[in-house]
Amino acid sequence: MKKPQPGGGQIAVLIVLFFLLVWEAAVSLSQIPVYLLPAPSRILQTLFEHPQLYAQASLLTLGEAFAGLLIGLLAGVLIASLLTLMPGLEEGVMTLAILLKSTPLVAIAPLLTIWLGFGILPKIIITALLTFFPVLVNVLSGLQKAENHHLELFHSWHASRGEVFRYLRAPNALPYLFAALKISAPLALIGAVVAEWTGASGGLGRVMWLAYTNLNLPFLFAAIFILAAAGMSLYRLTVWLERRIIFWQSHPEP
Amino acid sequence: MKVEIAALNHTFFTPQPRPALLNLDLHIPSGQFAAIIGPSGCGKSTLLRLIAGLLQPTSGSILLDGKTPAEANAARQVAWLAQSPALLPWLTVEGNIALARKLLATRLNHQMSVQQALQRVGLENAARAYPFTLSGGMQQRLALARLLIQNAGLWLMDEPFAALDEITREQLAAMLLDLWQPAQPTVLWVTHNIYEALRLAERVIVLSPAPGQMVADFSVALPHPRREDTPAFQNLLYEVRTALNQAVEAAA
Repeated sequence: MKKPQPGGGQIAVLIVLFFLLVWEAAVSLSQIPVYLLPAPSRILQTLFEHPQLYAQASLLTLGEAFAGLLIGLLAGVLIASLLTLMPGLEEGVMTLAILLKSTPLVAIAPLLTIWLGFGILPKIIITALLTFFPVLVNVLSGLQKAENHHLELFHSWHASRGEVFRYLRAPNALPYLFAALKISAPLALIGAVVAEWTGASGGLGRVMWLAYTNLNLPFLFAAIFILAAAGMSLYRLTVWLERRIIFWQSHPEP
Repeated sequence: MKVEIAALNHTFFTPQPRPALLNLDLHIPSGQFAAIIGPSGCGKSTLLRLIAGLLQPTSGSILLDGKTPAEANAARQVAWLAQSPALLPWLTVEGNIALARKLLATRLNHQMSVQQALQRVGLENAARAYPFTLSGGMQQRLALARLLIQNAGLWLMDEPFAALDEITREQLAAMLLDLWQPAQPTVLWVTHNIYEALRLAERVIVLSPAPGQMVADFSVALPHPRREDTPAFQNLLYEVRTALNQAVEAAA
């Protein structure tokens, strides 16, 4: 297993801290008004003054993001599997998927809100739509990219297409699934927030929208901080899972 | 399993058609251990792929105990081992063998267990290890155990030990002979190592540079274990090498 660069994580933390310090110093030295750019200390203060508000909003947004990601993930894996077992469908289905992908989400989100209301359903749908495509493309290529020498072995066993899929293609696609998750997990947060922005009864997107329309920038930035931390945590979680599940990666091919 | 090849031709229809095999006639009796030797690119691997049913010949016929390659493959009667051991990295040593056993279960007519197969290649103590923790030689031994458990009538081997160092290669060649002895399946073993071929095989077939044609056919009637310092061995070594060199010169 490849070891992370020594101190790689620490360096990232140091850079973020340094950036926050410069920000803090710049704001207090130049006396930028708080409605233009609040200092990090002011943002954190806001965050700790309203713990319940932010906890509830975060829970809702993270819940939507997780639900959407799960649906996007399942749909992507399912369709990729289907296309691998029935390659004749690939061109048609991929055309539809790209059509869906190229439709601007900011145009669909308000429509879904109009049709489905301010509840969590439109948020989950938007998030699923956003996270589905990276999963589909990556997993499909993982399923199709089985090594020739493995395929020859399964041929010599006269293995059925289903057996090749189950015992060779599926495990072979796992690293690709994690590559997709690293893209899709942070995207899920964006999906949920953008959907909330178009109209919601709660969530971080709602908090941001309210703060934005009131020019309450400390409130807005507090939500952004939470989202950044959540996105980073989701990514780290994915990497942690990957190291445990794909233990054979980063070893030379036997 | 008897291998009968008649008037076999194979051409790769790339933008510039490249003939790989030309009018090959070959008869391998059941149970023979035959080595196929030739310069690189002479169509040795193509020949094995045709027999395995991985490729369709341009013309000519291949019969394996009277069956087509596809029929023999469907009966799981043809086992395959190439230079890469093609182990599945997410399965343990025993997991790799167990998967072969499971997928071949419908036709396994013998009762060799995973443990027995591993014992035959001396890997019983590494059963729980993952392939990437094994040396190249151990990985190829694992591939041999997997080959063994298939209990096939024909072993197609495409330079299985070419990537290994010399000492490991000799050990594995000796092991291959041991594994072959009890059931004596037919072996078609592609190599470019004359010395190795003469150590193991009962017959050495020499192919010309591409398009591959049979240029010489030697019977190696020496008892095992073979010593390379005997006149008989040295004579054969000289003859095979001369035949190979002549074929290369004729093509140049």
